[in-house]
Amino acid sequence: MNMIEFRNVSKVYEDKTVALKNINIGIKKGEFVFLVGPSGSGKSTIIKLLIREIPVSGGAIFVAGRNICNLKNSRVPQLRRNIGSVFQDFKLLPNKTVFDNVAFALEVIGKPAYVIKLQVPQVLKLVGLEHKLKSFPHQLSAGEQQRVSIARAFVNRPPILLADEPTGNLDPVNTEGIMKLLSRINLIGTTVAMATHDKNIVNSMRRRVIELEEGEVIRDQKRGVYGS
Amino acid sequence: MIFRPRYFFGETFSGLRRNFLMFFTAITTVAITLFIVGFFLIIVYDVQAILSSVKSQVEVAVYLKDNATDELKSYLEQEIKSWDEVSEVIYVSKEQALEKFKQDNEGSDILKEIQGNPLPASFEIRLQSPEKVEQIALRFLTKDGTYIDGVDEVIYGQNYVQRLFSITAIAGSIAFLIIIMLLLAAIVLIYNTIRLSIHARRKEIEVMKLVGATNWFVRIPFLFEGFFEGFLGSVISVILLFIMSNYLLIRGEQAIIDTLKVKELAILGNTNVIMYIYAGIILIGGLLGLISSGFALKKYISV
Repeated sequence: MNMIEFRNVSKVYEDKTVALKNINIGIKKGEFVFLVGPSGSGKSTIIKLLIREIPVSGGAIFVAGRNICNLKNSRVPQLRRNIGSVFQDFKLLPNKTVFDNVAFALEVIGKPAYVIKLQVPQVLKLVGLEHKLKSFPHQLSAGEQQRVSIARAFVNRPPILLADEPTGNLDPVNTEGIMKLLSRINLIGTTVAMATHDKNIVNSMRRRVIELEEGEVIRDQKRGVYGS
Repeated sequence: MIFRPRYFFGETFSGLRRNFLMFFTAITTVAITLFIVGFFLIIVYDVQAILSSVKSQVEVAVYLKDNATDELKSYLEQEIKSWDEVSEVIYVSKEQALEKFKQDNEGSDILKEIQGNPLPASFEIRLQSPEKVEQIALRFLTKDGTYIDGVDEVIYGQNYVQRLFSITAIAGSIAFLIIIMLLLAAIVLIYNTIRLSIHARRKEIEVMKLVGATNWFVRIPFLFEGFFEGFLGSVISVILLFIMSNYLLIRGEQAIIDTLKVKELAILGNTNVIMYIYAGIILIGGLLGLISSGFALKKYISV
């Protein structure tokens, strides 16, 4: 069974921009997938659709066998708890420490304090920031900030992790670190989908590549590279 | 959803601490606008009290002819008493009238010139509804325009009564309009300030939604915060009003009581209107804060 499945999905934005045309994608549990393509090809739209930030215009999306398109609004938080998401701009809260930024993700889904005290240091150790618990985001490098945001996305151990251009703001050294981290998270069994247009990453990782162009899948290749 | 007072209060107060400037702005806005509303409420209430006291002093004096018989007088008295608009009828005999005249003019030369008793007996009519004074007065006239039997003259301040009533009516609607406009201004100001303070924290809301917080989980700290800001602001405005009333307005009211004999004023009256004004302001403050937060959040919370 596919962890993520797009069936004939299309998306037209309110300003009539066509972002996706009849997309069919199946991603299995534990897979690592790159979504590649130029800006405006529909990569980010796929991620936004998966966390129900925007509704589909046609077709259906299944996550763990469930159609998320007819999910009631009150069930959307439950969906998001099962999908960690990471963005190019980190989305950290500037006035909270590293620990609090990660803890916040558990607090707002109602986890008790002892779980927070246990899980936050664990996940920060996983991302290699166990010594920066009390730092504020502005005291960290961009790479470290992205690690915090990955820690926040993963602290609840979601089965799926989505990353939208997570290395877009990073230098090559930090990029490599982030990719190692995402690989490790994938090894634990997490399904990872990452949108990127960084050629070097895709080529060095040799994972499944789904290439989009003007809202259509033009290539879906196991152990692929950036350009065909 | 499990209720977590520690989280909600913690978030509320850490929110307040972190956004102290917004918090301060919201509270001062509430305090100042509601203070102005309260101040006008007191003034308007007092003006209305003065006007209605003046109105209640409107009375009809029915002067009787000297030759009116006792039977006619008692018939007239019964008749007047049976009218719904009338609250009280006092018969003043010729002797009583003279007595009162002497008292009023004690030591004056005019008393020496009075021989016998030139003053007429009269009915003094107090009214339940002062606006009806003209209709009451007209009942003492026959169709030909002369007074009915036994009545010499009816006096009710024909010239000023109508003007008084139109002034009170206009003053009443102006006061009502001022209060409504002030209240609207207060609502808009408070709503905008709270919306700004929520806008300043939209990133937090975005992250909360992203990691799967339910809408109520996002909302509750903001609602607490809005309520708290409204409540605290209105308490400050009540303190300001209290100081203002007890050191300034109270003297004005004392003067009004001394000169105009008006009883039911906002601060010094015995119905404690001022307490209702205080309570109302605190209620409005808290509710406005709560409701403003609720409405302002709508934009950021949509799934």
